[in-house]
Amino acid sequence: MRRLNHDTVIAIFLILASGVLFWSTFSIRSPDYGVLAPSAWPRGIIIALAILSVIYLIQSLRREPVEGDVPKHPSGIKAWVVYWHNPIICFGLFFAYLITLPILGSLIGGVLFVFSLMCAIGGIAPRDVMSHAVLALVTVGGMWSIFTFGLDVILPTGVIFSPF
Amino acid sequence: MVIENVLAAVNELATLQTVLLMMIGVAGGLIAGAIPGFTIAMAVVLTLPFTFGMPAAQGLATMVSVLVGGLSGGLMAGILTGIPGTPSSVATTFDGFPMARSGRPGLALGIGVWSSFSGGIISAILLMTLAPQLARVGLEFQPWDYFMLVMFALTITASLAGKHLVKGLIAGVVGLLVRAVGEDEAVGMARLDFGSEALLQGFDFIAVLIGLFAFSQLLHDIRDPKEARKTLSERGAVNVEIEHLAAIREIAKHWTLLIRSSLIGVFTGVLPGAGGSIANILAYDQAKKTSKTPEKFGTGTPEGIIAPESSNNAVEGGALMTLMALGIPGDVTAAVMLGALLIHDVVPSPTFIAEEPVLAYSIFIAFFVATFMMLGLQSVMLRVFVMVTKIRMYMLAAIILGFCGIGVYAINNVDLDLWTLLWFGILGFVMRHYGFPLAPMILGVVLGNIAELNLARAVAISTDLSPFVTRPWALFFLIVAGFSAAFPIYQAHRGRKKWTLFYLPMACFATAVPLVMMGGIPRPVLAAVVVAFGAYTLWRRAQSGWNLNPDEAEDLEIIEG
Repeated sequence: MRRLNHDTVIAIFLILASGVLFWSTFSIRSPDYGVLAPSAWPRGIIIALAILSVIYLIQSLRREPVEGDVPKHPSGIKAWVVYWHNPIICFGLFFAYLITLPILGSLIGGVLFVFSLMCAIGGIAPRDVMSHAVLALVTVGGMWSIFTFGLDVILPTGVIFSPF
Repeated sequence: MVIENVLAAVNELATLQTVLLMMIGVAGGLIAGAIPGFTIAMAVVLTLPFTFGMPAAQGLATMVSVLVGGLSGGLMAGILTGIPGTPSSVATTFDGFPMARSGRPGLALGIGVWSSFSGGIISAILLMTLAPQLARVGLEFQPWDYFMLVMFALTITASLAGKHLVKGLIAGVVGLLVRAVGEDEAVGMARLDFGSEALLQGFDFIAVLIGLFAFSQLLHDIRDPKEARKTLSERGAVNVEIEHLAAIREIAKHWTLLIRSSLIGVFTGVLPGAGGSIANILAYDQAKKTSKTPEKFGTGTPEGIIAPESSNNAVEGGALMTLMALGIPGDVTAAVMLGALLIHDVVPSPTFIAEEPVLAYSIFIAFFVATFMMLGLQSVMLRVFVMVTKIRMYMLAAIILGFCGIGVYAINNVDLDLWTLLWFGILGFVMRHYGFPLAPMILGVVLGNIAELNLARAVAISTDLSPFVTRPWALFFLIVAGFSAAFPIYQAHRGRKKWTLFYLPMACFATAVPLVMMGGIPRPVLAAVVVAFGAYTLWRRAQSGWNLNPDEAEDLEIIEG
C-alpha cells in the first residue's frame, strides 16, 4: 500500500471535522419566527466542505504528489524541530506574551516579546543583544505611546503598572 | 451635484492632520511595498488599528494612501535588487533589473515611478467616473443576485489557484464557516460555539485578517534561519538618483502601451479576486506580443517596465470600483478596505455612493491625491529604503509582530482578539505551507455574512428557490461562476484536448442568455456581439480543421510560469 501523503491526511481530517461540525449544528436552536433557520447556512457550508474534502481525498489518492507542491521536510524529531525552529519559537513566545499580558501589560510584555524573539532568532552575541534591546524599547515604546497618548486607547497595564 | 460632493470631500480632507497622515501613509506604503515578503495587503491591514479612532474620511484616506504607496513601493526592490517587493511587481523585475544592471538604474526607476503614477491617475479617473455608473447597475440587484455574486466572487478567486482549485474552494468554504461561528446576524442564535463564551462572540474579522495574512506571512519569511538573518542590501546596489526627464520622454514614446496596460489593470481589478499579481504579468505579456521588438524583452527594454508598473497601479482603482459600487471587494486589499469601512459603520452597497457621497468622493480624491504624493515622495523614500535594507529580516518581523500584539488589542480592547490572532496565524501558516491559497479564505470571511444575509432575505421574500436560476443577474453570475470554476481544467488541457476548442464559444453563448433576458436595448445588443464573437471563434476553429494550437498552450504556460 502506498504511503499516505500530506493531502490525504488533511482531507481525512477535514472530512472528520465536517462530521463533528455537522453534528454540532443539531444543537442550534430555531426560533418561531423567520424563514431561514439559523442552522441552514452553516449546514450548507459544512456539506459543501465535506463534498470538497471527499473530492480532495480522491484526488490525493489518485495522483502522485507533485514535485514542489509541499517543501520536503527532514525526517526525525530533532531535524523537524531544527527545520521549524523559528516558527515554533515565534508561536511559543507569542503564546507566553498572551499568557503574561494580564501581569506584565502590553508595554513590558511587548518589549520582552520583541527582545526575546530577536535574541532567539538573531543570536545572543553581546553586540546583538544590545541592538535588540534598543530596537525593542524604541519600537514597542513608540507604538505604545502612539496608541496610549495619540489615539487614547487603553492598553492592558498589567499588575506592575496598575498602581500608577 | 458632483461638483458639490467633490468640494465637500476636498473640504473634509483639506486639513493639515489629514494631509500629514496621508503623506505618512504613502511613505509607509512605499517602504512596506519595497520590502520583499511584506505584501501591500499586510501594510494596509496593519494600518487598520491606527485608523479606527479617526473620523471615517480621514481613516480611509490614510489607508488609501498606504495602498497607493504600497503599489509603487514594490518597484524599488524589484529594479534595484531583482527581488520583487510585492507579487504585483514580479514582471517589473524582468526588464527593470537588467536595465539597472546595465548601468541605468536611475532611468529604470524613473520609468517605473512615472508609469505607476500614470497608471494610478488613469485608474483614479475611471474610478471617479465609472463607479457611480456601476452602482446604478448594482441597484438592479435583488437578494438572489447578490447571493450569486458572492458565490461568483468566491469561485473566481478559488479558480485563480490554478491546479489547486479544490484547495482554493476549500479555503473559501472554511472562510465562510469561520464567519458563521457565534451569534447569527439575523435572529441572534448561538451557532458552532461548543458551549464556549469566547466562540459565542464570534471571531473578530480584523484579528482574523491580520492573523491569516500578516502573522502567517511573517513566520513564513523567517522560517529559514539563514534567510531570516540576511539584509536586503546584501542582494544588490541601491544607491541611485531617479532620472525623471529621461523617463518621461521614454513613456511619452509608448503612450498607447501605457493606456492599454492601465486599462488591463483596471479591468483585472474589477474582477473579484484578481489583483495586481495577475495584472502585471498579463500586461507584460500583452506588451511583448504587441511590441515591434519582442526579442528585446527581458534585456532591459522600457516597454517591459511601463506595462507592469502602469497596470499594477491601475488595479486598485478597479478593485475599489467593485467595492464601492457593489460592496464586493475586488481583491484581498479591497477586502481590508471593506473592513475599514465596516469599522466606521459604513456598509458599502449600490446605494453607498448616493447615500454617503462625501465619504465616497473622499475616497476617490484621496486615491487621486495619494498618487501625486507617491510621485513626490518616491525620491525621498528611496533613501529611507536604502536604510531599511540594512535591517535584518528577523528584526523587522519581530517588530511587526510586536505591533500586531498591540494593534489588534486596540481595535476592540478585548484579549480574545489576540488569541484569535495567534490561532489564525498558526492556521494561515499551516495553510500556506500545504498549498492552500489564503485569498479565497479571506474573501470567505469578508463575504460570509453578506451571503447569509442575502440568502435569508431571499428566502424571506419567497420560499421558491427558482429565482436563483431564473433571475437574469443571478443566472449571469451562476454561469460565469461555473465557467470560472472550469477554467483551471480548461487551462490544464488547452492545446491538448479537443473539447477545449469549445470552451470559449460555449462561455460566450451561455453568458448571452441572461444578457438577453435583462431586456432593454444595450444588453441584448451586447449579447449579440458576444454571440457573434463566440460564433466567429467557432468558425475559425472549424476552418482550421479543429486543430489544436500548441503555440497557444505554450503561451499560457509562459504566463502561468
